[in-house]
Amino acid sequence: MIRLEVKNLKVRYSASGPEVIKDVSFTVEHDDFLAIIGPSGAGKSTLIRCINRLVEPTFGEIIFEGVNIPRLGHRELREVRRNIGMIFQEFNLVDRMSVMDNVLSGRLGYMGNTRSVLRWYTKTDIRRALQVLDKVGLSDHVDKRADALSGGQRQRVGIARALIQEPKLLLVDEPTSSLDPKIAREVMGMIKMLSSEVGVPVLCNIHDVQLAIEFSNRIVGLQGGLKVFEGPPATLDRGALESIYAFEVL
Amino acid sequence: MNQSGIESKLERVIAQRKRSKTIRYAFYIILLILVLYSIRITVIEDTDWARIGGVGTVARALGRFLPPDLSVVKYLWGPTVETFMIASLGTMIAIILSLPVIWLGAHNITPFFPVTYPIGRALMTLSRSVNEIVWALIFVAVVGLGAFPGILAIGMRSVGFVAKTTAEAIEDVSTRPIEAIKAVGGNRLQVIRYAIIPQILPIFISIAIFQWDINIRRATILGLVGAGGLGLTMARQMLMYNYEGVTTVILTMLVLVGIGEVVSYYVRRAVI
Amino acid sequence: MNGHLGGEVVPMANKPVTWSRFRYPQSLIRFGIYLGILLFVSYSLDYLNIPLERFFPMFGRLWSSIFSRYYPPDIAYALDKAYLAYVFETIQMAYVGTLVGVLVSIPLAWCASYNVTPNRRIGYPIARFIIMASRSVHEMIWGILFVIILGYGMFPGVLALTLFTIGFAGKLFSEQVEAINIGPVEAIRSTGATPIQVMVYAVLPQVKVAWTGISIYAWDSAFRAATVLGYFGAGGMGWYLKLTVETLDNLRVSAIVLSIITLVIVSEVLSAWARKKIGAK
Repeated sequence: MIRLEVKNLKVRYSASGPEVIKDVSFTVEHDDFLAIIGPSGAGKSTLIRCINRLVEPTFGEIIFEGVNIPRLGHRELREVRRNIGMIFQEFNLVDRMSVMDNVLSGRLGYMGNTRSVLRWYTKTDIRRALQVLDKVGLSDHVDKRADALSGGQRQRVGIARALIQEPKLLLVDEPTSSLDPKIAREVMGMIKMLSSEVGVPVLCNIHDVQLAIEFSNRIVGLQGGLKVFEGPPATLDRGALESIYAFEVL
Repeated sequence: MNQSGIESKLERVIAQRKRSKTIRYAFYIILLILVLYSIRITVIEDTDWARIGGVGTVARALGRFLPPDLSVVKYLWGPTVETFMIASLGTMIAIILSLPVIWLGAHNITPFFPVTYPIGRALMTLSRSVNEIVWALIFVAVVGLGAFPGILAIGMRSVGFVAKTTAEAIEDVSTRPIEAIKAVGGNRLQVIRYAIIPQILPIFISIAIFQWDINIRRATILGLVGAGGLGLTMARQMLMYNYEGVTTVILTMLVLVGIGEVVSYYVRRAVI
Repeated sequence: MNGHLGGEVVPMANKPVTWSRFRYPQSLIRFGIYLGILLFVSYSLDYLNIPLERFFPMFGRLWSSIFSRYYPPDIAYALDKAYLAYVFETIQMAYVGTLVGVLVSIPLAWCASYNVTPNRRIGYPIARFIIMASRSVHEMIWGILFVIILGYGMFPGVLALTLFTIGFAGKLFSEQVEAINIGPVEAIRSTGATPIQVMVYAVLPQVKVAWTGISIYAWDSAFRAATVLGYFGAGGMGWYLKLTVETLDNLRVSAIVLSIITLVIVSEVLSAWARKKIGAK
């Protein structure tokens, strides 16, 4: 069953600038772990940010749960966003807040302005937070300040924040680029395990082709703003890799 | 952790949050009471509400300022140029006067720390503590009316800020060029000339331009105490009770200050 | 011309190599700037009728004349109870003006920051305009205007100081906001948060410390302005300054100026200590 459909996506940042994404289409099934690979500057980050409109698409359709995301008004966009969780490369936690407060901020899309400004969380929300923190293994760090944690722990808080939204889709932007290789593998494993546990498809940008092959069930290769490869990891052979990374200067 | 473990933790967390919430709200309420109380005693009790009348009187008083009296414009060209010159010359004086003060007030180049450093700092504080109006009053009393006391007042007022910020920049300077110059045998003056000055010159220029922009704003009002410029025009319009003219003068001041801000923004970008 | 390098003969260029610190067009620009400044100064001195030749001999007499007229200051006058009441009034004015000004500046700075403003087309330019307008008008002018409309007293002074603080703190606040790390902002936005929620959860925690430091600095600046606002009738010790200046009561003038300087220094020391305490720069 298709959860997300991207049709003919084109993005340019300014009217006179270059097209960052030239014409990309793909679908995400309800049980997919879709990895997007490609050289830097290929448009991976832009593509993922278009899905929840952190970046505005210039042309094309993004169909999610029956609505076309680029066409939504502000209020509907917020409702859609709370059903999409996002995990970031730089973790993007609020450093001065505690782990608990950071995770609870994932519920903001469901809370009214007054309650959130006064920080009036319901018992249910706090229970949800404790449960998801337990799942990522951070029960003992609930009251610590976010900047007192290690990189791997911070990313786990990010995972918890995304999961507490009870999303229908997870966007993951290079989750391991700021982590050491061993922690990186643990984090990828955790994302895969938790997402399949709750039945949420994952759309994941990843730099490391090995990790992509190991954890995903489908791979999309992006180069110069165009999709140059799509298929299961087994078919990602040397020829395919060369066509994706042909212009990568290394 | 099992479900009951989570439940008990839940109770603890909720109790904790309740406690910190009560403390925070108590703080906000006290703050609110403080604000309302101070507004009451300063504004509400002290004001002669009978004289102000109602909103209608206030609205009418505001109305006396509009529409702006454009016939005043032809008298404004001279004072505007004068204000601009007062600000510019005053800033130049401040730049010149700040050099010895900076030398005294930066602890890594001051000649005799226990004596000269406090003197330098005291001069900076003195200059900044006296409002430009007070400086203008002093100089008007001593050299008479006109643009000259205004220039002196602006100069004396700005020295402090320029000197303080530059001295702090010097104190924060990287020691590596200093070591390098000393290593090739430079004396104290050469260290200053070749290691310190190149590092702080862009900062100094940027600060000077920043003060020039602020000084335009300050120069506009000096005329209110007789030190020349648009302030004098404004005072005259007020004496004639020509409030529409006052509006015109104020608009001119805004334009002048605005031009100064735009120019200073672009020049500072080019320097740093 | 041949040179010797490591025992080998190496051909060198025929022109003598020169180096100078400033090349064209840089040297021309510098020269032009110096010349321009020189011309401007001489033109201004002429335009403003400043008799520089008379000034230099006057300089020596300047200080002795200041000294004879203003010394010794009439300190007893400055310690008079009526005057001290006005001093207290000045402190109150500064305090209320800063408080209200800062409270208004918080939402204003939020709207005036391009990266997080809730409304880029209308709210942003309006907020920016309010801040710029408040800054461009000198606080004394605000004071005079409000005195004309509302009469003498503390009310016009408080309003003038509030507008001053809005311009002062509003600009500094929004500069801090525009310099924040956009990452947490993106993260909070992606959960479906409203602009207010983004402000409270992603922006405020990052700027809280800097904003507190700026507020203290704003109080200090407002206090300095408050000491003189009374000169134009807007409440505070400046009123006494006007009285003594107009009656040429110079010894009392110097006492008042001295009291102003003392209070401002105390306020500066206090605010510097407070800002260090909270860890802001």
